[in-house]
Amino acid sequence: MLAQQLFNGLVVGAVYALFALGFNLVFGVHKIMNLAHGAVFMIGAFAGLFTVNAGLPLWAALIFATVCSGLLAVVTELLVFRPLRSTTEAEFAFLIGSIGVDMILVNIALRVSDARTLRFPFGIVPVEPLVLFGLRITPLQLIIVGAVVFCAAALAWYLHRTSYGRQVRAVSNNERAAILLGVEPRSVYFQTFFISGALAGIAGVLIGLAFNSISFTMGEPYMLRGFVILILGGLGSLVGAVTAGLALGMVQTVAAVYLPVGLSDLIVYSLLFLVLLVRPNGFFGDPVADARVARR
Amino acid sequence: MSFVYAYQPLLDLLLINAGFALSQYVVLRAGVFSIATPGIVAIGAYTAAIMMARHGISIWGAAAAATAAGLIVGYALSIPLARLRGPYQAIATLAFVQFVIAFAFYAEPLTGGAPGIDNIPKQVSTLGLLCCVAATVYVLSSINQTRLGRIFDALRQDEAVAASLGISIWFHHALAFALSGAIGGLFGALQAGYVYAIEPQQYGFAMLTTTLAAVILGGRRSVWGPIAGAAIMTTLPELGRSLADNRLLVNGLLLTLIIIFLPRGLVDGLLFMRDRRNDRAARDQASLKIQKTAQP
Repeated sequence: MLAQQLFNGLVVGAVYALFALGFNLVFGVHKIMNLAHGAVFMIGAFAGLFTVNAGLPLWAALIFATVCSGLLAVVTELLVFRPLRSTTEAEFAFLIGSIGVDMILVNIALRVSDARTLRFPFGIVPVEPLVLFGLRITPLQLIIVGAVVFCAAALAWYLHRTSYGRQVRAVSNNERAAILLGVEPRSVYFQTFFISGALAGIAGVLIGLAFNSISFTMGEPYMLRGFVILILGGLGSLVGAVTAGLALGMVQTVAAVYLPVGLSDLIVYSLLFLVLLVRPNGFFGDPVADARVARR
Repeated sequence: MSFVYAYQPLLDLLLINAGFALSQYVVLRAGVFSIATPGIVAIGAYTAAIMMARHGISIWGAAAAATAAGLIVGYALSIPLARLRGPYQAIATLAFVQFVIAFAFYAEPLTGGAPGIDNIPKQVSTLGLLCCVAATVYVLSSINQTRLGRIFDALRQDEAVAASLGISIWFHHALAFALSGAIGGLFGALQAGYVYAIEPQQYGFAMLTTTLAAVILGGRRSVWGPIAGAAIMTTLPELGRSLADNRLLVNGLLLTLIIIFLPRGLVDGLLFMRDRRNDRAARDQASLKIQKTAQP
């Protein structure tokens, strides 16, 4: 029973990790806290749903959602973050600008969906579970885990084994030094935002499938979990994001079964507050990053 | 007279929102990126609602208690938050807001859980709200005229410079937190005494974004900024049906455009332009005089 719950939590946590990876990538590389990430995730889920409703298979939906959300994030970068970058209080302005983008996207989704909760058509994924080592594993869970592992591995390969990834890491270390060494920062911004949006889009479709509900409000709770994962895992740490995402998924799922309703949120948010005070750079964060986080 | 009656509910809503915006404005003006206002408002509202609905205490006692509660919570928050900066302060206070909401959901015997508290006797009139907003504006604009106002300005513009001038960052940030908490608690109580029923959901992300948006829209320096911002945010959706249906879209667009093109906000932006024009006029006059005297 506990093992089954832990496994279910692991699957949910894998999607959290996917969501948080994109959020953390943009924050780690550019110090931009993109509050519109939850809305991009929600738009990804809608894009996937429309593809499926148009009669296309699931893999096409995943690809379409990826491209849609990726381009949406890039457009946000071009229209909102780029003009704000030269201002004096850029960190503050990024937050406000992205809240504005979030409101706009939520409103569009609200109008498109007529404020209803939409569902994927039944039977798009086979429902008969496999039984393995006493665990019931549904094909959907296999698809989710497969997609998440593939995306995380592709991101790790991209960042650490390609020349583009080296440029991204150079900008994350020191943007000015990277420019001096001939890195074109605009292309790096384009890449990180596209990847971040694309990961959010895939996560949106997977969450839409896993809970079988897609609505215009679905971005907000994931945005809040994204914060929790970002802080627990440490800023800009992708390993931290994956670990914290998996842990959060498991803790939430197990807590939902064994603790009274509502208590798990209390615990998660007080934990977040405490970790910020005790170890503001998280459990996997770079100790040098401390200076950017806390005073003294 | 009928004009006033027809728009009275709108005016009341505007005044309550202006109070929340003022609470948010106090911290932002002092250079603290705290978004704890909705949480403190919720604490004030619940304190007052429990006293009024369950113990029959009048609004005077309830409002005083809620103000004191807000002040204490605001001050208590400032102690741990003094360590963090910028976006991390924002995340920590966001965790605080979520914690308060989760607590209101969970502690059912005290807070009534998800349905909240109803049957609160209505004891707040338009005149009362007007007096409270006027008193708050008076106090805050008096502060702006004194040394304390200059200190807040210095802290917002550059903390390092302020510290090098012998200003205690910790003390003044704690002061801003406590002041913001007291205002938030007061207007939480007034809201509870005005709307008959309160529930946890109304203090969530939506309130956070509208309050923050009001301050950004109006401006963070002059005390009239948040009032103008709250007035715009409250009345704009009432102007037309299509505006009301797309409330989020309109607010989001406004917020994004303002932060990109008028980062000081409407009131401060206009004040700045006026000052600059006066400066230029004075300079032109001065150079004219020099030219005249130079000619034989």
